[in-house]
Amino acid sequence: MKRRQFLGSSVGTGLVLGAGLPSLCSSLAAFGEKANLSRVEARYYKKHPDRETECLLCQRRCRLSDKERGYCGVRENQGGTYYTLVYGKACSLNADPVEKKPFFHFLPGTNALSLATAGCNVNCKFCQNWQISQVRPEQVEPFDLPPASVAELAEKYRCPSVAYTYTEPVVFFEYMYDSAKEARKKGLRNLVVTGGHVEPEPLRDLIKVVDGIKIDLKAFSKSFYTEYVRGDLDTVLEAIRTVAKSKAWLEVVYLVIPTLNDSSEEIRDMSRWLRAEAGPDVPLHFSRFQPMYLLKNLPPTPVSTLEKARETALGEGLRFVYIGNVPGHDAESTFCPNCRKVIVRRTGYEVRANEIKDGKCGFCGVPIPGIWA
Amino acid sequence: MFERGVRLLTGENDPYEALRRFFRFEDRVGIKINTIGGKNISTRPDVSLPLALWLGEKNVRPGNVIIWDRTNRELRDAGYRLSEDKSGPRIFGTDTDGAGYGGDLVVRGNVGSLFSTIQEDFVTASISLAILKDHGLAGVTAGMKNYFGAVHNPNKYHDSRCDPYIAEVFDTPSVKGKHRLSILDCLTVQCHKGPSFHPQWAEKYGALVLGADPVATDAVGWRIIEEIRARKGLPSLAEEQREPLYLATAEHMGLGTADPGRIEVIEENV
Repeated sequence: MKRRQFLGSSVGTGLVLGAGLPSLCSSLAAFGEKANLSRVEARYYKKHPDRETECLLCQRRCRLSDKERGYCGVRENQGGTYYTLVYGKACSLNADPVEKKPFFHFLPGTNALSLATAGCNVNCKFCQNWQISQVRPEQVEPFDLPPASVAELAEKYRCPSVAYTYTEPVVFFEYMYDSAKEARKKGLRNLVVTGGHVEPEPLRDLIKVVDGIKIDLKAFSKSFYTEYVRGDLDTVLEAIRTVAKSKAWLEVVYLVIPTLNDSSEEIRDMSRWLRAEAGPDVPLHFSRFQPMYLLKNLPPTPVSTLEKARETALGEGLRFVYIGNVPGHDAESTFCPNCRKVIVRRTGYEVRANEIKDGKCGFCGVPIPGIWA
Repeated sequence: MFERGVRLLTGENDPYEALRRFFRFEDRVGIKINTIGGKNISTRPDVSLPLALWLGEKNVRPGNVIIWDRTNRELRDAGYRLSEDKSGPRIFGTDTDGAGYGGDLVVRGNVGSLFSTIQEDFVTASISLAILKDHGLAGVTAGMKNYFGAVHNPNKYHDSRCDPYIAEVFDTPSVKGKHRLSILDCLTVQCHKGPSFHPQWAEKYGALVLGADPVATDAVGWRIIEEIRARKGLPSLAEEQREPLYLATAEHMGLGTADPGRIEVIEENV
């Protein structure tokens, strides 16, 4: 069954949308002849002489000749005008627990309508979703889902939020932005799950229409970003600073990879920086690495490494530090920083108890930062 | 021209014997062309088709020759009529039903890609028949970079002047293990502001360059671009800080010879 048919039957029978990423292409079939590409002019770019364009969406600032595509693979110079090829072309759509993003301080226990298009502006060697993020839009089979339909589906499936996730939403900025505006019209929230490679101007514009941003801080060293991410640490740190100063809710994920970014010094320096720049209340998730894509020669992160990292971050003054990808671990739950009681108990992506009342600890009454209603 | 070129290249007088140096009768020969530039600056059908027909006449089963590129749309836009007729050369793109990309990532150095099943599975011997162009990032796009069109994610390989990516994509079993011949279509050469077409910098050069050494062939292509640029009063690629670094990398990796002093060039007017 093709994904498009699956979606249709799911909607028709009222099932939860989608079956998760395993339903996506296991190998890249040939969809190019039937390629379902958009041709919507991009919003952040500059025209240069000789039909050249310069993308201003991320720090790469790809300068392209006519007929060329950017590093992301989803934006193309056509005759000197720059287009997004994935506007309204979702390749993945699911109703996921918001904890899966992960957002732990944002409407716990609810679902977020989660969507992605093809493409990404980095190339992490440990990418979990490379079959959709590291491909060109011709190599997936998208379905047409205009921004207004995104909001309608979220409402229909009782998702109080829409999450732009799975790949890198910055590369489908125009689609995300317009969908977020449509969602807001219906009183829905918007969440962005990003690697943080975005220029300041589009980020500032995005913040105006979204409610929460989760940024993957993949390491705290420039060399790691160069070698394993093909990205830029400074750009990501600047994005974290910008979001932290804004009204959008910020959470940060740090994927701990054995031997590459797990030293006590790096974790300490990162935690210290995060507390100084984003404050002690920003939730920090230490996530467990699993070998995949181009990084298969390392073992999964030992749980003890994650626990040590958590202790380090707590010691540096961060108040909400979690461990992810270890279902059943105590550190999946939220502890009140005052009375130390469990105020949101989680197992995997499931919320088993929520003791937060009116944004406060249900036991001692201390305010708990986050978006709770 | 192909017959004369292959005879000069091999020193064989008999074209059949000359071709046997590169291909066996049972080979399935892929002619990888470059059609991203549309009708104006792509490998021309009037170069690739005679080559395919000549191969079929002399050495290879006609139905075992395929002219191919990434997409059928690009092939059509460059003036090709698609064909899956096995009585002659077949012409189609990787996005044809039944083709697509392989299921297993091929990893080599900085490269991790899925390869076109045409290159990976179908062909047993490969010709890179690229059009010679200036390239804003790589410096030159010629026979080696042409194989970027065989992978699913070429957009990931344009950092640092496409180096070492061009050499590393070439240095994979699907390419290096099958590549037999580089041919540069230099009938028209885009000498500046490439890889897109700009008529003021598209020189009617009127040549084909054939080489058994992929690195040396590209190095000769670079020299041609520099010659044309100098004639037009343009700065050299080195002066623009975009000389093709990949050639030295490729030589270092043992893929061929980049040093002009060690490349023998035989020129003949036809």
